[in-house]
Amino acid sequence: MTLSGGFRSALVIGVQGIRAHKLRTFLSTVSLFLGVLAVLTVQAGAEIAERALVGGVELTRGRDGTHVMRVPERGTTPEIVERTLAGRADGVAITSTSAVIGEPGVRPVNDGGTPFDQPRAGSRDRCPDEGCGPDDRRADGRAIEVELRAVTGDVRVFRPFRTVSGRWLDFTTAPSLAPGVVLNEEAAKGLTRYRVPAEMAVAGASAHLTPRVVGVVVDGEAEPTAYVRTDELRTWLPTSPEVDPAVGGSSIEVLFTPGSDELARTLSARLVAAGVDAEQVRVHTVDARENMENQLALMRWIFLGMAALVLLIGVAGILNVGLATVGERVEEFALRRAVGTPRLLLAAIVLAETLLTGLVTAGAAIGTGVVGLRVSGSLIGHPALVGVGFPWQAAVAGVAAGLVAGVLGGLVPAIRAARIPISAVMRA
Amino acid sequence: MTGLIRLSGIGKTLTGQGESRAVLSGVDLTLHRGQSVAVVGRSGSGKSTLLSLLGLFDRPDDGTYLLRDRDITRIPERRAAALRSAGFGFVFQRFLLLNHLTAAQNVAMALVNGQGWLSRRQRGAKVAAALDAVGVAHLAGHRPPRLSGGEQQRVAIARALVREPEVLLADEPTGALDAETGDLVVEALRGATRRGCGLVLVTHDREHARKMDTVLELVEGRLT
Repeated sequence: MTLSGGFRSALVIGVQGIRAHKLRTFLSTVSLFLGVLAVLTVQAGAEIAERALVGGVELTRGRDGTHVMRVPERGTTPEIVERTLAGRADGVAITSTSAVIGEPGVRPVNDGGTPFDQPRAGSRDRCPDEGCGPDDRRADGRAIEVELRAVTGDVRVFRPFRTVSGRWLDFTTAPSLAPGVVLNEEAAKGLTRYRVPAEMAVAGASAHLTPRVVGVVVDGEAEPTAYVRTDELRTWLPTSPEVDPAVGGSSIEVLFTPGSDELARTLSARLVAAGVDAEQVRVHTVDARENMENQLALMRWIFLGMAALVLLIGVAGILNVGLATVGERVEEFALRRAVGTPRLLLAAIVLAETLLTGLVTAGAAIGTGVVGLRVSGSLIGHPALVGVGFPWQAAVAGVAAGLVAGVLGGLVPAIRAARIPISAVMRA
Repeated sequence: MTGLIRLSGIGKTLTGQGESRAVLSGVDLTLHRGQSVAVVGRSGSGKSTLLSLLGLFDRPDDGTYLLRDRDITRIPERRAAALRSAGFGFVFQRFLLLNHLTAAQNVAMALVNGQGWLSRRQRGAKVAAALDAVGVAHLAGHRPPRLSGGEQQRVAIARALVREPEVLLADEPTGALDAETGDLVVEALRGATRRGCGLVLVTHDREHARKMDTVLELVEGRLT
């Protein structure tokens, strides 16, 4: 028996067998379909969740291995940080403050820097019984409030922002008087929706700025955020704004690449020398992705275990139908042996039938999964589902589940078929 | 005529329900190319057992089985399957056609058995020739339930002949047919011997047996 001859014969006879028992084959695929779909759903769900959560966590907290130092923003600490990191690519400082883009002196449409689709407090709530503050008396106007993050270098080394349009900040040129800003998608949405004038008021700045929007990125933040070069902001904001005692002190976040311990130690030493408590500038390492992946892996295995149980029911269905079919086809298999079909090929024929059934079922389940994902994405409208492609890992898992079910369900019938005595043909 | 099959002192004991029974004992048989041999005997005389041994479905307990002077008495199953495919054709009383296949596909079954591979065109040509040889080429696309008994048996003979075997083994091929149709089937089998094929026909029908070159009778496990 040549391999190709045997393989082709098994396929041809297997397809004939499936066509001869269409209804039975279809019924056996129903439970298997549910089993494969369960595996597929778990795998696809896990992949989508991982992409959404792990991708998000890298954007907001940084890549695993990134060293983070939080420096209290007071006195000379901003200057020490900026001077130490000047010209360095292995360390970037981020200083956050609030900014309003648009008409000056008005109340922004998202007062407090909230997301734009979040319901806004009504004007009647602005002045509670305790009385109005100066900001509460402002009239509503065409302005949006954003969190302005001043960065000393390319923060994307640590946080892999995806560029949506335009470009990222260019740190190779001389600082401009009209600071270039990169908006996140939420800030860009506000700018587009409310068509605000290009004037930016930053708390503590000596004058209003005229920003140049150079790009839009996905940064994983829900609130409107804008990124600006620290040196360009310093032209208009020589010192950090006074800290509101009610809110508490703000801090500068310094990110270091793995292996830049020397830089971190230098900065820490300078800060301690300037009077900062050493405990306050302790460096910690980001491991958020690993933690999240471990938690997701645990959940995935739990759900995969449940899906495997459903798949087992499908295997039992195939096994049941396979045994019944072999019992019915004793005469056929004995006849095939009489005309020279080897025992091994008889087993291969039965396995080919169950494997083909498993593959076709897997194909149907994958098709259902793809359609289901699209439909649920458009119906439910959850951000994690919108525009998400079907994960190839789930398709692989579906095919593997179909093949495994085909082998498990077909093995015992295949062995039985191979053991049918050839003399059965004489008794027929 | 040259020696094709030689059985010498073949014995076979079957065991069932705790009892052993010697079905064949000291059987000698020689079959030449183009020769037809009829084996007759009462029910239970061991005719089908003899055919099983000849067709390598089973192995004898005693004696020697030579095919073209080659000893195949204890041939392993894998080689036996290859020999059954290349050297033997089988015709059974109940035709044993698969109802979900057409007549042509039933004949092609003997070609799609893992013993080598023929292209679809090559298979088609061989199947058409085999069906034509037994006069049922026009029924190639029909499924067995739509065929008469005689037509079904002739399709079964075409299946047995499609690999152009050296030996044709027929177990009561006319047992389920009326006399006239039975004659047609026997004639189709005789046609194969004219092309050099050896034929062993197990039958109850003395009339058909007389049409063979040699008639042997099995009595109490011995050929006379």
